[in-house]
Amino acid sequence: MAEGQVEESGTTGFWQRMQQIPRYYVYLLLAGVVVWQLLLPIRMPIVPSAATIGLYEAIKAVPDDKLIVISTDWDASTQAETGPQTTAVVNACFQLKKRFAIMNMQPPMGVKLSNDIAVELGKQYGARYGVDWANWGYKYGYGNVLMAMAKDIPKAIGDDFYGKPVTRLPMMAGVKDIKSVGLVIEITGLATMTETWIGLIQGPYQVPFASAYTAVMAPGYYPFLDSGQMKGMLVGAKGAAEMEVLVNRPGQATTIMNVQSWAHVLIIALIILGNVGYVLGRRRRQEPVR
Amino acid sequence: MNPEVLILWGAALATLGVYSILYRENPVSRLFEHIFVGLSAGYLVFTTWTQNLEGKWWNPMVQERHWYWIFAPVVGALFYFIYSRRLVWLARLVMGLFFGTAAGTFLREFFPIYSPNIYASFKSLRPTAAALAAGPGGAWSDVIIHNWIFIVILLTVMSYFFFSIPHEGPVGRNLGRTSLLGRWFLMIAFGAMFGNTVMARISLFIGRVQFLLKDWLGHYWPWFASRGF
Repeated sequence: MAEGQVEESGTTGFWQRMQQIPRYYVYLLLAGVVVWQLLLPIRMPIVPSAATIGLYEAIKAVPDDKLIVISTDWDASTQAETGPQTTAVVNACFQLKKRFAIMNMQPPMGVKLSNDIAVELGKQYGARYGVDWANWGYKYGYGNVLMAMAKDIPKAIGDDFYGKPVTRLPMMAGVKDIKSVGLVIEITGLATMTETWIGLIQGPYQVPFASAYTAVMAPGYYPFLDSGQMKGMLVGAKGAAEMEVLVNRPGQATTIMNVQSWAHVLIIALIILGNVGYVLGRRRRQEPVR
Repeated sequence: MNPEVLILWGAALATLGVYSILYRENPVSRLFEHIFVGLSAGYLVFTTWTQNLEGKWWNPMVQERHWYWIFAPVVGALFYFIYSRRLVWLARLVMGLFFGTAAGTFLREFFPIYSPNIYASFKSLRPTAAALAAGPGGAWSDVIIHNWIFIVILLTVMSYFFFSIPHEGPVGRNLGRTSLLGRWFLMIAFGAMFGNTVMARISLFIGRVQFLLKDWLGHYWPWFASRGF
């Protein structure tokens, strides 16, 4: 055998194969773990984080004479995360008997999807539309909408999701400008929505602000939590599952996080196998065969 | 066929069709991708009309006789003069208006967004009892450790982005060391972000598998629907 040539031992072959697993097998393995844990789950504990508790406490602290605005800026592409987040937040509002209004600035699909969630939960809590909650609908214009809301909410919103003027909703009695809002909760998979809310509402008018993000974008927003600009934050399905623990209503997010944990175990194992194979393979290539 | 069952099958086939891209690029996956984009675009047009334009523009103009609203689409249509060499200045006029508004709004947003971030980065390395009481809580030692870690990472990462001094000589070499440390911290942060990205993608996948098992298969075999997920 020539110098520097890799020895074809059984061990080397195994580690080389570990680096070259066809991606279809990885996908199939992952799908297998997901199906297994959905059908025959082995439960793992979920402990609420400080960020999630912060959001729950912020909802709790809203005075009875003020509204909560839930800005549901998400659509079907992130529904597996933002859907359970919306469910958990709406659950908390109904449980704590806080009046809230859903609104949406982008993408417009979110207003219908979150409306379905609120209607369904409203039936379970015996809440009435227009009294305990409302849907202000999809309002195009980002910053312009917020600047208009700061001065005159009924005028800025106009009609609700069902085409009815919001001034006719009983819960809107006494609602004038942004000072009538006790908390804004932004639920989104889109960057820059938070900056718009903070820059135009939270900062200038000191309206408490909290948020729920897809896990992809959440790391970029921790500085806002640290600076106190955000009262709390839900991070992906994990945050939604933690909120479900706080409102004592385990749902879709709890299931997702349980499956997620097992999927992560598989991915970590595959990463370790791949890297050990890489290191051993490199070492073998560098060692001349005696 | 019951429309609900039709929707169920449509959603299930769309899910499987889109995921078929994991095997290889194929026309079925592309077809469902285009359907999704088309549906989203169509829904955007529909909701923009029903939730915005109808109530705020059309009805005031037609029913309340606020005739001046007719000028809104005229101004908007000026954008299309970008295709005319002779009258492109009209498009630039309206673009300038929008750029100016956007820049002004951003300027207004900038300080409320970033100044508290900057202020929060000034952390005491020897916090007093009063500062501890005003903070988010935690033992004195926890706060000290947290603040020191924060400041070290902040300074080393900022030094990584400081390109004005070459990494030579006594000062430059030390800057090189801190920037190397900063690079390591950045790598750790990127790792954490990538971990979160993996979590997000798997959450979406789990959501679709949940639908396939509980709603689709569960419609025909109740055992799947009764699994409690």
